Amino acid sequence: MKDIFRILIAPLVWFASFSAVYGLHGLLCGHEVSGVVLGLPLERAYLVAAYVCAIAVQVVLIVALYSSRLASPSPFVRFVSHATGWVGLIATIWSLVPVVFTTYCG
Amino acid sequence: MNALERHRKLTTIWASEKGFKGWFSTVNHTDLGRMFLVTAFFFFIIGGLLAMLIRVQLATPHSAFAGPEIYNQIFTMHGTIMMFLFAIPTFEGLAIYLLPKILGTRDLAFPRLTAYGYWCYAFGGSMMLVAMVFGIAPNGGWFMYPPLSSAIYSPGINTDFWLIGITFVEISAIAAAVEITVSILKYRAPGMSLDKMPIFAWYALITALMILTGFPPLILGSVLLEVERAFGFPFFQADLGGDSLLWQHLFWLFGHPEVYIIFLPAAGVISTILPVMCRTTLLGYGWIVAAALALAFLSFGLWVHHMFTTGIPHMGLAFFSAASTLVAVPTGVQIFAWIGTMWKGRPELRLPMLHLLGFFFTFVIGGLTGVMVAVVPFDWQAHDTAFITAHLHYVLFGGFVFPIFAGIYYWLPHVTGRRRFFRLGELAFALVFIGFHVTFLAMHWVGLLGQRRRIPTYAPEDGWTAINLISSVGSFVLAIGIGMILIDVILHVLTASRGRRNPWGAGTLEWAMPTPPLAYNFASLPHITSRDPLVDEPDLAVQLARGEGYLGTPRNTWRETLTVDIASGKPDMHVIYPSNTRLPILMSAVTGVFFVSLLLKFYWTVPVAVIGVALLVWRWVWGLGRGADLAPLSIGHGITLPNAGMTDRSPGWWGSVFLLTANATFFGSLLFGFAFLWTVAPGWPPPVWFDPSMTELGAGLSGAIIGPIAMRLAKSVNGKGRNSVTGATMALFGAILIGVACAAMMWRTPSPVDHAYGATLFVLGSYGLFHACLAMLMTSFLIARIVRGFTSAVRRAEFSIIGLWVDYTSVIGVLVLLAAHLPGVLQ
Ligand code: HEM
Ligand SMILES: [Cu+2]
Repeated sequence: MKDIFRILIAPLVWFASFSAVYGLHGLLCGHEVSGVVLGLPLERAYLVAAYVCAIAVQVVLIVALYSSRLASPSPFVRFVSHATGWVGLIATIWSLVPVVFTTYCG
Repeated sequence: MNALERHRKLTTIWASEKGFKGWFSTVNHTDLGRMFLVTAFFFFIIGGLLAMLIRVQLATPHSAFAGPEIYNQIFTMHGTIMMFLFAIPTFEGLAIYLLPKILGTRDLAFPRLTAYGYWCYAFGGSMMLVAMVFGIAPNGGWFMYPPLSSAIYSPGINTDFWLIGITFVEISAIAAAVEITVSILKYRAPGMSLDKMPIFAWYALITALMILTGFPPLILGSVLLEVERAFGFPFFQADLGGDSLLWQHLFWLFGHPEVYIIFLPAAGVISTILPVMCRTTLLGYGWIVAAALALAFLSFGLWVHHMFTTGIPHMGLAFFSAASTLVAVPTGVQIFAWIGTMWKGRPELRLPMLHLLGFFFTFVIGGLTGVMVAVVPFDWQAHDTAFITAHLHYVLFGGFVFPIFAGIYYWLPHVTGRRRFFRLGELAFALVFIGFHVTFLAMHWVGLLGQRRRIPTYAPEDGWTAINLISSVGSFVLAIGIGMILIDVILHVLTASRGRRNPWGAGTLEWAMPTPPLAYNFASLPHITSRDPLVDEPDLAVQLARGEGYLGTPRNTWRETLTVDIASGKPDMHVIYPSNTRLPILMSAVTGVFFVSLLLKFYWTVPVAVIGVALLVWRWVWGLGRGADLAPLSIGHGITLPNAGMTDRSPGWWGSVFLLTANATFFGSLLFGFAFLWTVAPGWPPPVWFDPSMTELGAGLSGAIIGPIAMRLAKSVNGKGRNSVTGATMALFGAILIGVACAAMMWRTPSPVDHAYGATLFVLGSYGLFHACLAMLMTSFLIARIVRGFTSAVRRAEFSIIGLWVDYTSVIGVLVLLAAHLPGVLQ
């Protein structure tokens, strides 16, 4: 079960963060949010912050999956979990990148 | 004991009843796999005939062949039958037939559940056929969008047939998915660690997990829409706080993964057959596993690309457009692994290989048009035109039907034990290939010229006449080709020339047995040391028949097998299967009474059916127990294992884990729906909020705390060999508290027909109440078991299983009650 978990965790977290950011976007647009942080409109700042968090979590996962303490004893499971770890990271970076440049709520 | 005696003894233990009576009582995976496949192909023929009717209608402008009302039914039923009654059941049938054989064991994890699933499929499918015969078939298109499918615009019974019939069929998909998951994880030959699993098992495992998480949103959507139609709860009505877009989200949350649920098993077939056809091994096994996993996950992040034209904000579109382009990567990895396999080997153009080439050519084109429509501006142009239907057939026919034809020709000698005698297949392939491309290339083209999908007719001035005629001619060539394949297969089954064992020289275990296969698969179970056991050990079949593997000596009248540790493949439990019984067909018939009563609005028979199912479930599970402890049993080669009923992680526990996974997805989708309506739907806030009550909330929460603690107590007391009735009774009491709190919530919720808020709370409450009743039933069952002496410090499996359900009930109970009471408390 632990090995299955190692294989599934990164993409699962991707799915969770993808849905969360999509939901956050919906929430921000549903409720009037206004203000400026660091020269960014508040909505954009929230979204970018969420994006950065999502990436950070994936990076932590990759490090964990490679660490000798947490990695699987089976070389095959190690290989697959590293691959799915990278899938999680790349998918997070790529699928959420619109928060940086597209218009929101329009 | 010599091989023949062993065979006789095993056959008396494992055989199904003789003759057609055996169909109704069999629980054997070979029988049921074949029944699934035959039924699925029956539906393929029906769906194909409907496709012919579509092409007849569209062949000429102003066609008078069918009126719009009938035409709507024809294309809706074509899509519905192909997706739900052909594609998914074909996967289930193939997996059910093949998995135990390819994994080196004797049957699937829950044989009676296999049978129950089959009968739900057969009965649910028949409901759809009945609707068609009477001309009252569903007519809202295969994705049934409200408001078109709501009671106002579709008042007849047509839509109810879809919502209720398909939900009935989905029971079989969920049952099969639980079964397949547990079987692959636990029911393997000793030594078969995860990296030695045949690649088909990986694909089947991933597909099954996707069914468990992909189907619940659709089931939820169907339940909500049916409740709206029957009782007027306005989930999808914008003027009453609902939102018809909620349906689209729920549907496509299922619908896009569905496409990969159809493709992945086919990819499993390809990855199995291709290396054999090329006389080599699969290139990049680990990469393929990782790519399939990636594909499965990414496919859950794409659903909104079916909704690009619904006015979703730009950023939302961009997320899903980006994710949609991303799936091309893992698909590409698989394609390259297959091309590399061909490169590395020596491809031989035998019949299955022809169909694989047909797959490559077609699927790559389908993938490319898929990337085209993932680009939002292009999709705005092509949406709802024949271009889309053409694209989806390239993917579905190319990605599923061609590989399945390859699979049929590859495994037919296994099913029949015969050799193909007539050579119709090659010609049939040519006709199918040419016919398919003529039909659907033409449809791409006419789609770009502006022909919309689902139109019953068009005018000569549109300039689509010639192309449509070409397409229709192509489809008849295709139909003749498929007809010839059918004849070829029937001739194969009827001609009596015996084939030799393992005609393709394959390396996987399903060929290490006599064909047609025996009821018990293997006289003894192999020990696996590599991915292609038959390559290392060409006469493995003979050794197994001589009883040199595990469990080679039949014991009592037990149908025995063993399970293994998931990762390492070390044997860990001994299992005794139930034998032939009519209980599954009976239970699915009673389940059918439930669905038909809903359909015909005979509400007084609904509770009768529910109680009937509960009684049958009770009987079903009761039969599994033992009155006395079993000492650990020898499986040969000096290994002894505890029986599954004497462990904490029994097959029933694993089955519950995955059933609860599906259940949790259902509940999660319901919460998503609630949040979606709350934030997105117009018509909020609701006119009245739920009036919170500290008493009810407190009662429910204490029930949720008592239940899990009491179950843990019961388990530990039982482990010390003492009487655990007190703990179980306390758990029962906890479930009653949750039930009462949920019932009170349903009673007091603001009128569910006036606003979607009240409607959603009502459904949440009934979900909680349903699970509380389930937990009451289970804890009562446990009490009965303890009192009747079916449990002991050793016989403890049921405590863990029921504990799991009690925990689940408590968690969802808390969430349900908080969802209702919290907003009021906070205000
Ligand atoms: C046997 C050859 C087949 C032919 C000639 C064919 C033909 C067609 C045509 C012409 C349509 C468009 C109807 C319209 O828009 O008015 C259609 C729709 C559809 N087909 Fe097929 N088809 C075939 C096989 C399949 C298969 C194997 C599948 C799935 C596994 C499938 C799934 C669908 C679906 C989902 C739709 C959409 C139905 C809707 O719009 O509600 N078809 N088919
Ligand atoms: Cu899609």
